Amino acid sequence: MNGGLFAALLLPSLGSAAVALAVRPHRRWGSVLGGVFSVGALAAALGLAAHVVGGATPVWGPGELLRADALSALLAVCVAGVAALAALSAPGLDRGRESYDQRQARLFAIFSNLFAFTMLVAVTANNVAVMWIAIEATTITSAMLIPLRVSKASVEASWKYILIGSVGIALAFVGTVLGYFDFVSRVGSHESTILNWTVLRAAAPAMHPQVVQLAFVFVAIGYGTKAGLAPMHTWLPDAHSEAPPPLSAMMSGVLLAVALYAIVRWKAVANAAVGSTFPDGLLIALGTLSIAVAALSLVIQRQYKRLLAYSSIEHTGLICLSLGLGPLGVFAAMLHLVNHSIAKSMMFLLSGRILDRYRAAELAGVSGLLTAMPATGACFAAGMLALVGLPPFGLFLSKFAVVRAGFAAGRPWLMGTVLGLLAIAFVALITQLNRMLYGSPPEGVAIGERRRLGLVPLGMCLGALLVLGLAVPRPVQVLLDGIVEIAGR
Amino acid sequence: MDGTFAKLAVIGSSAVLILGLVLLWRRRSNAHIAAFSAQSVALAATIALVGHFTGDGQLYTVAAILLLLKGVAIPVLLRRMERQFGAQRELEPYVNTATSLLLGGLLVLLAYVVTRPLVTLSQLPTRAGMPLAMGLIFVSLFVIISRKKALTQVIGFLVLENGIALLAVLGTYGIPLILELGVFLDALMGFLVMQIFVYQIHETFESIDVDQLKGLRK
Amino acid sequence: MTTGTPLSGTLLGGSLLGLAQAGLALALAPGVVGLIRWLKARLQNRLGAPWWQPYLDLRKLFSKEVIVSPNASWLFRAAPFVIFASTAAIAFLVPMLAVPSPLDTVGDLIVVVYLLLLGTFFLALAGLDPGSAFGGMGASREMTVAALAEPTIALAVFALALSAGSTNLGQIAARTMADPAAALGPGHVLAFGALFIVALAETGRLPVDNPSTHLELTMIHEAMVLEYSGRYLALIEWAAALKLLLFFALLGNLFVPWGLATRVTPAALALAVAVLSAKLVVLAAAVALFETRIAKLRLFRVPELLSVSFVLALLAITSSFLWR
Repeated sequence: MNGGLFAALLLPSLGSAAVALAVRPHRRWGSVLGGVFSVGALAAALGLAAHVVGGATPVWGPGELLRADALSALLAVCVAGVAALAALSAPGLDRGRESYDQRQARLFAIFSNLFAFTMLVAVTANNVAVMWIAIEATTITSAMLIPLRVSKASVEASWKYILIGSVGIALAFVGTVLGYFDFVSRVGSHESTILNWTVLRAAAPAMHPQVVQLAFVFVAIGYGTKAGLAPMHTWLPDAHSEAPPPLSAMMSGVLLAVALYAIVRWKAVANAAVGSTFPDGLLIALGTLSIAVAALSLVIQRQYKRLLAYSSIEHTGLICLSLGLGPLGVFAAMLHLVNHSIAKSMMFLLSGRILDRYRAAELAGVSGLLTAMPATGACFAAGMLALVGLPPFGLFLSKFAVVRAGFAAGRPWLMGTVLGLLAIAFVALITQLNRMLYGSPPEGVAIGERRRLGLVPLGMCLGALLVLGLAVPRPVQVLLDGIVEIAGR
Repeated sequence: MDGTFAKLAVIGSSAVLILGLVLLWRRRSNAHIAAFSAQSVALAATIALVGHFTGDGQLYTVAAILLLLKGVAIPVLLRRMERQFGAQRELEPYVNTATSLLLGGLLVLLAYVVTRPLVTLSQLPTRAGMPLAMGLIFVSLFVIISRKKALTQVIGFLVLENGIALLAVLGTYGIPLILELGVFLDALMGFLVMQIFVYQIHETFESIDVDQLKGLRK
Repeated sequence: MTTGTPLSGTLLGGSLLGLAQAGLALALAPGVVGLIRWLKARLQNRLGAPWWQPYLDLRKLFSKEVIVSPNASWLFRAAPFVIFASTAAIAFLVPMLAVPSPLDTVGDLIVVVYLLLLGTFFLALAGLDPGSAFGGMGASREMTVAALAEPTIALAVFALALSAGSTNLGQIAARTMADPAAALGPGHVLAFGALFIVALAETGRLPVDNPSTHLELTMIHEAMVLEYSGRYLALIEWAAALKLLLFFALLGNLFVPWGLATRVTPAALALAVAVLSAKLVVLAAAVALFETRIAKLRLFRVPELLSVSFVLALLAITSSFLWR
């Protein structure tokens, strides 16, 4: 039963990639199949989550290779969801579209599915090193797609991404090696199970504190690079803005979340070994710096996709900060993570539609959105309001929870500073939004909504945000409580 | 300190570190590729050494793969890349050579400080080489930041991986074989992708001077 | 500690031993330079002058007239003596024949470094004194090289001192003799590398300076002594040869000290002389081979090479530190 669930989760994306690889030239039904498969994977993820909510912890594989506890299940749902969104907006799906040719559509189908596969493996693997391998593979697969449309800017973005991303991952590996450094001298065994989270976590209290501290620093900086935390964030605005919109949705929506997942796992180990003061402090420092850098950079942005990218840095910083605020903070962080995944992916896909219509990446080139594309514009506006944390959307609730956790952890000044920075971001984003929405559209931009079918999944995202904003549903609550248990005190 | 094993391990690690420092000294890519290749050989020898003294047969496999992959195959690919895009003038790095070397020495000192808790706590005879491995990691990070040629940055990244492998071997006698293989595969894939990108950079910008990748600044 | 005849234990005995060492060094120095030249010639398929040619050159120079530029001051005449004296003083302190020698209490590693620097300093001043263009150019270049080379000597030998527990050169050699395994340690190997590069720099050999050139673009040492003639030049040339021999002695006797006499008996001393000569021949051959293989570095590249040796010395110190 468990094996079936895991297979249903992981194999569809592999299958879609294989189909796209085999079928040359790329046909539309290949992308349709990919879309169907991704929805199937989403169903499997929801099934796994249901099991976890029911109290079980599905495992599978030799040495418990795959394991789905609350944290894994929640992330798996997020990843599968966003992957489905991206697959349903893939380049290969739309007929007669001049944006991407067949070769590009095929490349997209192959690598985006591999990308989804590696992310799913990363969140369900029980083994520290397998997770690392999977996250490294995410860098490689996503980097292949950034220069889908070759230009100086996209080549530059992809180079920075792969170089900085790989360096970050390498540092995370140093941290991983240091993390189980103690084991060999004492246990001396070479079985793969040694690197399982469960084993590591259980043995954590007996590990030497300085070693674990050093390991956690490397891990935080390494995976933090992938998560887009400052000061290692320089690749993010370029990569997320130059990538094709569905890929940006996946990267901003869930890749950052997967990197944060890795940090949460290691934090659990570090908490058990050295207590929570040091890890909390480090995460708060990184988070605050990221929010500051992002908020101040948002003010001077000139392109809307870069605007969204910096907003991702801001939100990731907030999540990271919240992870350092104790159990309440962990709850708030994970809730925010889910909300952000939904909101940001939706926004990037909407920006893809805007880009298609307006053919301009600059903010100055987009105006009169409500006139030219009423439905898209309305969704975009709602999404932006969600991102800045206005009710009734989910992000308001999670931001509120973060602030509450901050006060409960005894850091009122910090929360004050953060709120101030978030206010700066608020002003910047809303100002740009107004410029985009109102006024008259530029010359040569067609009026009227086309391809309404593509709006359906995005509307569902908005709906999900509303639901999460009004009250956190019971199953989600159970999962989040489970995560707080895992992440340690 | 104990015995021949410890001494040989330190000698191996010193050789690996010093060959890494060559990246800071010489400017031509041929020298870098030769140094990387020699370093991979030294690393493979060190891993085989550890395998011999600990009686762990798996480490021999790891050393053999490392030798083939990073000692032979990747340098061949790198030389091919160099021939394709290398007919360029030597690029002045962001930090000049003498300063780079001095900073490299200081980074090694920093590595000694950082790994102090590790060395005191470790019981393994190979522990004396760990600061050298960490020093190599820091030095290669510096190479990636301060060099302008994309090819040199790629070589710097490969040297970083060598440093991490050395640290893993010295500190923990390596990780289980399957995972080691996975790591190798990842590294190879990463390298191949980087190679593709250097090609694309060359095609788009007509040079592999990373300094020109400054268009996206804000 | 020395066991053997009481002769070595007394200051008189030690002084005699020191004098013998210094005399030997002075006597052998021109021969070493000649040997290197002869070997290089042979390697380059030339016949070359015999290895004793420098002795004949010195004798010739001593008998020649001294011409002094009217712009020169007292410094010009005094400098050759200061240079010669400081280098000869080092010859008392570097372990060449016997170890440990009581003269070790007179000066150790720090004194040696300062004496080297004293000689270099006065040579540079002497280059500047007559006010000629070449002299000034050579002096500035020499100072650039010395600025990076001197700290490296100190660091490299200090690395050895750390593992020996004393800056006393004789003690260092004695400790290495007592513990052969340590001689292969990374600290020693790195320090040897660093010291070798610095020796090439300090004694004006390729790749830093070409000892046989007189082209203005490539001279460092030659430029500073261009104005000298007669017995002054002879003293300076002899001092330069002596410096080379002393560096060889340092390289040979600090890193591979076996052969040094621990007891002052005629047999031990004879063996010491023989072993020293052997080491000098080996090192001379190494330098000759090296010089034939590589080209001179452009001047702005020399600091890079010296930085490499500095970093090697730094690494040697950190390795020694950890190995204690």
